[in-house]
Amino acid sequence: MSSSFALFWRQKKALAGLVIILSLCLMALFAPLIAPGDPSARVGRSHQAPTVEHYFGTTKMGRDVYSQFVWGARPSLAVGFATGLAITALGTVVGLVAGYFGGRTDATLDLLTNAVLVIPNIPLLILLASFAGTVGPWAIMAIIALTSWPWGARMTRSQTLALRNREFIVAARMVGEPGWRIIFVEILPNLAPLIGINIVGSIIYAIVAQTTLEYLGFGDPLSVTWGTMLYNAQNSSAIILRAWWDIGAPAAGIALTGLGLALINFTFDEIANPQLRSGPALSRWLRLNRLRRRELGAAR
Amino acid sequence: MRLSPRRLAVYCVAFLFAILVNFAVPRLMPGSPVDSMIAQLGPRATPAAIEAIRARFGAIEKPALEQFVDYVVGLAHFDLGVSVKYYPQTVTEVLGRALGWTAFLVVTAIVFSLCIGVSLGAIAAWRRGGRFDTIITPFSVVMIAVPPVIIALATLFFFGVTLRLLPVGYAYDPNLDPGLNFTFFGSVFLHAVMPVLTLSPYLIGEFQTTMRSSMISVLGEDYVTMGRAKGLTETAVMFSYAARNAMLPVMTNLALMLGAVFGGSIVTEIVFNYPGLGLTLYTASVARDYPVIQGQLLLMTLATLGANLLVDIIYGIVDPRVRESAA
Repeated sequence: MSSSFALFWRQKKALAGLVIILSLCLMALFAPLIAPGDPSARVGRSHQAPTVEHYFGTTKMGRDVYSQFVWGARPSLAVGFATGLAITALGTVVGLVAGYFGGRTDATLDLLTNAVLVIPNIPLLILLASFAGTVGPWAIMAIIALTSWPWGARMTRSQTLALRNREFIVAARMVGEPGWRIIFVEILPNLAPLIGINIVGSIIYAIVAQTTLEYLGFGDPLSVTWGTMLYNAQNSSAIILRAWWDIGAPAAGIALTGLGLALINFTFDEIANPQLRSGPALSRWLRLNRLRRRELGAAR
Repeated sequence: MRLSPRRLAVYCVAFLFAILVNFAVPRLMPGSPVDSMIAQLGPRATPAAIEAIRARFGAIEKPALEQFVDYVVGLAHFDLGVSVKYYPQTVTEVLGRALGWTAFLVVTAIVFSLCIGVSLGAIAAWRRGGRFDTIITPFSVVMIAVPPVIIALATLFFFGVTLRLLPVGYAYDPNLDPGLNFTFFGSVFLHAVMPVLTLSPYLIGEFQTTMRSSMISVLGEDYVTMGRAKGLTETAVMFSYAARNAMLPVMTNLALMLGAVFGGSIVTEIVFNYPGLGLTLYTASVARDYPVIQGQLLLMTLATLGANLLVDIIYGIVDPRVRESAA
């Protein structure tokens, strides 16, 4: 494990990703200091280009895009991260239970997992959201989490299947440890890299889904998030009027978040699956393998 | 070729689930959607239309189970109800009009991205750790993480509005009459360029990463070593020996990604005002045209299931190992 963390830190990509995500989080956290004032207040004329006064220009309604960008990071990131965690929690529990208990439990849960997996998510989200009317950020979170856990469940299940008959699990079972304890104390820690991938991947997915829903107008129109900023910009024909700052700011926020998370996940992937490595990590891995082989040869 | 009963059970459950969601959601939501729909019909609300909507959304005195049976029987007769926005057109008519455009868009984007993504993935795996790999592979991972909305808006802004290179909306020049002539096809092609370019980055990224990892494991197989030992050229080993087999996981992934592709096409069609299913879904959701939204979910579920079934069948044909184990 410690070598994995060392690998993580040495990777420039992961570090860059982490820096991006952390700075966005800090910006969201210190929004009242960075952009004081109400982001929904009218402070200028309609569609002013970026100036010293309004760093990112103004919207059609004369609101400051910079302050909306800073404040919008709060719900966007919070919902994205919370939803990602919820998706992972659901998927991990379903996968663990199905993989460990096997038999009829597994058959039922696996069937459910595969069935939810093939139902197209975004149309399902739109159906649920349009019957619910406009939905607040937390309702969006619930809807996304309930429809997108199967990816993680599948991965977790196959890993659990591989683990459940290993000696230490069999031993724990013989000692008489209860099932839930074996699952959460014995198996779960071994799935750490997988869960890491799952969390970051789910956050990415949640942010994509949240943006899509809010862009389509299902978000709360009074809240300031990156998704509703896009929706408002689209509705005020910012693109045709060439008010690029109005669309560009929220788009950049979302794209940066995606970039940072993708870079982190890329490295997680390489840790969990050394086969996929490339670049410096790959050559280190190959060197390590050569050394190991030589040691084996010497031992023989 | 026979399918395993397990897979068939999965498809049945998924389809049943979609039907159940369609049936249950309008009945469980607070506030009846029926009144708003009838209000929207306005003067067009004949007693027959009102009756049809009431029956469909459960505002009648009948046991739930009986309503469900009626609903399923209706579906079996391709009765998806009547559109509220386009009354008296049926949902089947409204969706049928849009289906072709979305199919065209999605299939073109998939074929285009498959060619590029698979080649990029194969080359990256072949020269693993090389400069090409270290640039292209992280780039693909990033492409998967950027929402299609962002790419659509950026494409529209740069190619459509700033450079004015490509037409910015609809599927063909509205001044043209649809017909089997070169001008019309040219117009359809030009109007499809931006939507296809928008859908592609995500797909290329997915195909590239899947192809790369599956190619890496295939390259360790004995038959690849044998191909090299026989003195075959690099390209022959790469494409005829390794890439052919490495394609299989890409196919599986493609079927599973179809749902996400539909999600992307919804946004793309809205941004480019493309008259496909996505735009229909959007206008329906703005107009609270529930029957159309429901029909859409069923249609897209059916399409995803069909694609999965197709992949299962193709898999059995191209991979003898699957055929063996099924027999």
